[in-house]
Amino acid sequence: MSTPLIQTRQLTISFGAHKAVNNVSIEIEKDIFTTIIGPNGAGKTTLFNLISGLLRPTGGQVLFKGTDITHLSPLQRVALGMGRSFQLTNVFPALTVQENVRLALQAQARIGYRIFADHRKFRQLNEKTGLLLEQVLLQEKKNFLAASLTHGEQRKLELAMVLALDPEVLLLDEPTAGMALEEVPAMFELLDRTKKVTDKTIVLIEHKMDLVTGLSDQVIVLVNGSVLAQGSPPEVAANPAVLAAYLGGGVLSEACA
Amino acid sequence: MKTPAVIKLVTAGAKDRKQFVAGSAVALIAAAFLLMLPGFAGHATISLFSRIFILAVFGMSYDILRGFTGVINLGHAVFFGSGTYLAGILFLRLDPTPGTLLLAVIVTVVYCSAAAFIMGKIAFRGGGVIACAMITLALGEIVRHLAETWRDVTMGADGLTFPIPYMFRDRLLFYYYALLFLILMVIVLRRFVLSPTGRVLLAIRENEQRAIFLGYNTTTYKMISLQVGGISAGLSGVMFALLTRFANTELLTIQQTLNALLVTIVGGTGTLYGAIVGTAFVQLIQHYLLTLRDVHPVFTRWLLFFGSIYILVVLYMPAGIVGAYRQLADLLSSRNKKKIA
Repeated sequence: MSTPLIQTRQLTISFGAHKAVNNVSIEIEKDIFTTIIGPNGAGKTTLFNLISGLLRPTGGQVLFKGTDITHLSPLQRVALGMGRSFQLTNVFPALTVQENVRLALQAQARIGYRIFADHRKFRQLNEKTGLLLEQVLLQEKKNFLAASLTHGEQRKLELAMVLALDPEVLLLDEPTAGMALEEVPAMFELLDRTKKVTDKTIVLIEHKMDLVTGLSDQVIVLVNGSVLAQGSPPEVAANPAVLAAYLGGGVLSEACA
Repeated sequence: MKTPAVIKLVTAGAKDRKQFVAGSAVALIAAAFLLMLPGFAGHATISLFSRIFILAVFGMSYDILRGFTGVINLGHAVFFGSGTYLAGILFLRLDPTPGTLLLAVIVTVVYCSAAAFIMGKIAFRGGGVIACAMITLALGEIVRHLAETWRDVTMGADGLTFPIPYMFRDRLLFYYYALLFLILMVIVLRRFVLSPTGRVLLAIRENEQRAIFLGYNTTTYKMISLQVGGISAGLSGVMFALLTRFANTELLTIQQTLNALLVTIVGGTGTLYGAIVGTAFVQLIQHYLLTLRDVHPVFTRWLLFFGSIYILVVLYMPAGIVGAYRQLADLLSSRNKKKIA
């Protein structure tokens, strides 16, 4: 078997007596669409913060393509090929939509230290920016300030920014969080398209299982900081432990029905 | 029709061109006016404008840090004051010749670059904006204290009077040198903020964490910003030495830094040109309020009036004069568009 793209070994972080992530060992294979689900406070975002380097674990390891990256900074992990989005919208509010994406592309192009070049004169970047905006259906809003977009549009913008980094693995932290209900299907359509168009490994955090069963190849259920179940969507849905944990109208009720 | 308080839903393509035309027109009119000014203005006015040109560069150097990068540097006067002191000390110890001036410029650039490096290494060590502000404040005070106690070189609190090269003694000629200096610095700094590097600085101002997750080493970019801001401030300090032929420790105090902060707020932060407009506004108001003291003695307390004007500007033009102008232009262009549609 090939080395998994991302692997965690007994990953643990405690805040005082509270173990937000407890002894989590997961493997994420290349080109697999993985969804991490779980109720509020299960430690999904904390797990992402540990994988992307925003938090340092109190125990255990994070491996990327077989090498230990537990002690690397977020910046070094981005350079290795990890791109992440955030649960709370995280864009550059007073810059235009176009500039937001262009900055993400510029980070890849490594022209950041050319202090006497004009940023508007890099045609390739501008063209790529246009393509990405088309991909997330924001072409018409390119000259709007990011702050003036609706919440759903900001989430799309974020997706475009992560895609711009051209990472090997996309860590998407609840891209539908806070979206209006009618905007949600469009987002998943977008993710579905992204999955087909690009050859990226995608790890998605989601709250509502029923929305992602069609997309996911693998589902990881996180409860109270620990992995409760792991497997293909039907396997997980049929798992007695998962059923027991969510019995009586839990997060998974719809998916299990 | 009621319009929302902040008009930001603006499209850029056509706006860019319009803004360029409008900007060029404003620049041309301003340049023509400033070139002809010595024809009809007295000596005092010419000196006042030379002062505005030089302090405007200091204001712009501060705007690079605060307006574009979002870094609050309370020790920024160190660069400005050191430029003045270095030029003064060299003119005094060597001959006041153009050669010495060139040496002063080189020494100032090297000194400010080194100072910015040290300051940045300490101030950007992971702490937030406030930590950075406090550390730079402390560093600024250390330098001021050194200048005050090192009497052999700086003459301490008495201040340092020094001669300057002959070619700069003519006030009228110096006016044009100062104007040229301002124009050159505008060109250089404008290029800098429009460069890919300048764009990353904006990203850091907007959301540093996001910039890191895009793969930018934000600390390095902040160091670059401090280099550019520090060296520009140092050069304006050298020009200030040629203007006043005098240096004292006041140039190194936090008050001097706050003056730069003030002009960027009044003129508009993050606009570069705001610092020029703000400096002109502050200096002219100060000057004309003082001349009013013959009308009524209350005008000797000009700060009283200046403070009130400042509060009014902050309350009713939070984006500063240049910011307010841009908002107005945006508002007008979006109205025009509606008419066409």
